[in-house]
Amino acid sequence: MIQTLTLNDVLQQFVSGTPNIQGAALVSSDGLPLSSILPASMDEERTAAMSAAMLSLGERIGKELSRGVIERIFVEGDKGYSIMVGCGEDIVLLVLADKQAKQGLLFLEIKRITAKLAKMVA
Amino acid sequence: MKRENLGDFVSIVCFKGVITGMEDALGEKATAIALIAAGRTRGKNLTNSLGLSGAKISVEDIASKLDRALGTNGTRLCMVDKVERTDDLLKVYTKETVCSSGEEEGSPRKCTYTLGAVWGALENIYGQRYRGFHTESVLRGGTHDVFEFKTLA
Repeated sequence: MIQTLTLNDVLQQFVSGTPNIQGAALVSSDGLPLSSILPASMDEERTAAMSAAMLSLGERIGKELSRGVIERIFVEGDKGYSIMVGCGEDIVLLVLADKQAKQGLLFLEIKRITAKLAKMVA
Repeated sequence: MKRENLGDFVSIVCFKGVITGMEDALGEKATAIALIAAGRTRGKNLTNSLGLSGAKISVEDIASKLDRALGTNGTRLCMVDKVERTDDLLKVYTKETVCSSGEEEGSPRKCTYTLGAVWGALENIYGQRYRGFHTESVLRGGTHDVFEFKTLA
């Protein structure tokens, strides 16, 4: 049984304690929200479906176009970044960061939180 | 814009073409996620339009109201025969689903859009979040396509 409250706490800590992170969400691989700290303007259900579909599509691109195992999906816009990574077998982590975020640091922090969350949901 | 000659209905062959085409381009998983999400939105909008949002009606009433909206006299997505409730589980018995149409016996195809439509309808009626599964199929020996919904805390 996944402890939603604890997942929420960890996500909250990650979002508020990491510079330039604007939001994060954990979703099931079939696109359902598990836990999220997102800006109020974003619809949790739609964000969950988009994130899971995007990661799945990335995995298909990796396979069909011989890119190997996909580490992350990285979307760069003029206002910031959206990063989707697998977090354990059946869970996807979405992270939103602003344009000032340093990519190396961002990926390192995501790696850390992913390892922590993967243990919690295992 | 109304279609003067063709009316509101489209062939199931074309609808299945959309699904299989998406699966070919995007993969089964991404397509399933998109179709379930689309179905949930449809179910929510449908129950809103029927004035059932938050109605908390009995499972018998749900079956007949959904069947009227989606079945023979509705949009013909599927027939809804029965809804059962056991503890924290809702079981919806459907048949003649659009997803199963034209499939060979034993086909592994799962209902996605139909599952989502029923799912969104139930969530909107009961104001409760569920996790939905397609558990029995007419393609794999079942008498119905059965959707099960577990209550999420």
